[in-house]
Amino acid sequence: MSNDMVKKASSFEILNHWVLAVSFFVLTISGYAFLFHLEQVGSVFGGFNQMKVIHNWAGVVFGVSLFFTIFHYLPVSLKFTADDFAWIGKAGGYLSKKAAVPPQDELNAGQKLYYLVVLISGIVISASGIVIWLRPMAADINRWVLISHLLHNISFDLMVIAIPAHMYLATLANPGTFRIMVYGTVPLAWAKKRHAKWVQRMGF
Amino acid sequence: MAIARKALLISPELCIGCRGCQTACKSWNQLPGQKTRNTGTFQNPPDLTPSLFNMIRYVEMPSETNMVRWLFVSRRCMHCGDAGCMKICPAPGALYRTKEGAVAFNKEKCIGCKLCVAGCPFDVPRYDEKDKVTKCHLCFDRIAEGLQPACAKTCPTGAIRYGERDSLIGSAKKLGYAKVYGETDLDGLGAIYAFKDAPKLYGMSEKPEIPESVVFWHKVLKPLAYIGLGGAVAASLLHYIAIGPKKDEEVKKDE
Repeated sequence: MSNDMVKKASSFEILNHWVLAVSFFVLTISGYAFLFHLEQVGSVFGGFNQMKVIHNWAGVVFGVSLFFTIFHYLPVSLKFTADDFAWIGKAGGYLSKKAAVPPQDELNAGQKLYYLVVLISGIVISASGIVIWLRPMAADINRWVLISHLLHNISFDLMVIAIPAHMYLATLANPGTFRIMVYGTVPLAWAKKRHAKWVQRMGF
Repeated sequence: MAIARKALLISPELCIGCRGCQTACKSWNQLPGQKTRNTGTFQNPPDLTPSLFNMIRYVEMPSETNMVRWLFVSRRCMHCGDAGCMKICPAPGALYRTKEGAVAFNKEKCIGCKLCVAGCPFDVPRYDEKDKVTKCHLCFDRIAEGLQPACAKTCPTGAIRYGERDSLIGSAKKLGYAKVYGETDLDGLGAIYAFKDAPKLYGMSEKPEIPESVVFWHKVLKPLAYIGLGGAVAASLLHYIAIGPKKDEEVKKDE
């Protein structure tokens, strides 16, 4: 009984998350190199000219991957209930060993909020990147590029704050969680504690 | 060793509109001629191009005393002390400052992103057929050898003078120009103008500035990129040490 596993992520969802994560790393590392003129990092990419090409196409991969996440995470992320607000009120139980949190759905309230931040900033950073890259014909293209440059960097800042926190919460902060990104399965007993409403809904 | 900042002093009142500067620039920099179009003015070509680093703008601006006043204004890269193009450029060494204070470029390092076009307060940078930046570089190769830029060398009237920036400003003031355009804007321009009238009449912005969004990005968003990342990592580590990982058994125990 205690060894029962339930499936939390499909193979495609796991693959897509890895594509998203790897493209994010490529984009972020090259992004920092552009931002702060890190010449050694540029050399790793084969020079800044080649790094620009890699950055742009990694952006395409990121954008496509982000699109598929919509099917995986958006419907549940849009459903905020009283339990979600209560969860946020208790900071997800992360600030004390003793805090018990209300039962959560497939994603907890923090994950929902995090996904919405990544989705919105991801859409903004992709769209603004395309404007800077392709410079669509427009009389006031310089204005468009400046706005895009600003939005690209605001989204970047949001992401480099939110995503490391996500990585911490998915690994060190919650031992055993990372297996979802590898096997896609979790112990039923764990799921009952962390995602009670989801377990109930799915009838595990 | 630091050397005194150099500049061009442009005096429209002395300019006779011969465009020798345009030709000399093309000659020294081996820029091809271009087919152009009559737009009803002597100004030709109408604006800077990838193979036109400097030009004379012909401004017809009648005054109360002079019904046929014609202003000739040399236009080119202003070699700003605080250059918007350099600020926004993501490729190290693509745009760089020479020891004379000129903003020069290295096409091999340029990645063709064209952000400098958006960052320039004077609409100066252009891109060649290979998508590399081109613009006036103050003849960096000539001035490094102690020569004048081609435009200044060829100017027959002294409308374009090259020299130490401070002494050029001093000489303009001695000639009665109370204000020299570009003396302090953008940490001082490298192309300064002795205007008799309001800069606006010569087609120049009264107060040239780097776009606000670029300044905000430089001052706030850039530092936030590493403070934010560092903060997120530090907060995670702190949480791990101070509170530690979430273990369901422990929560249950206390219930």
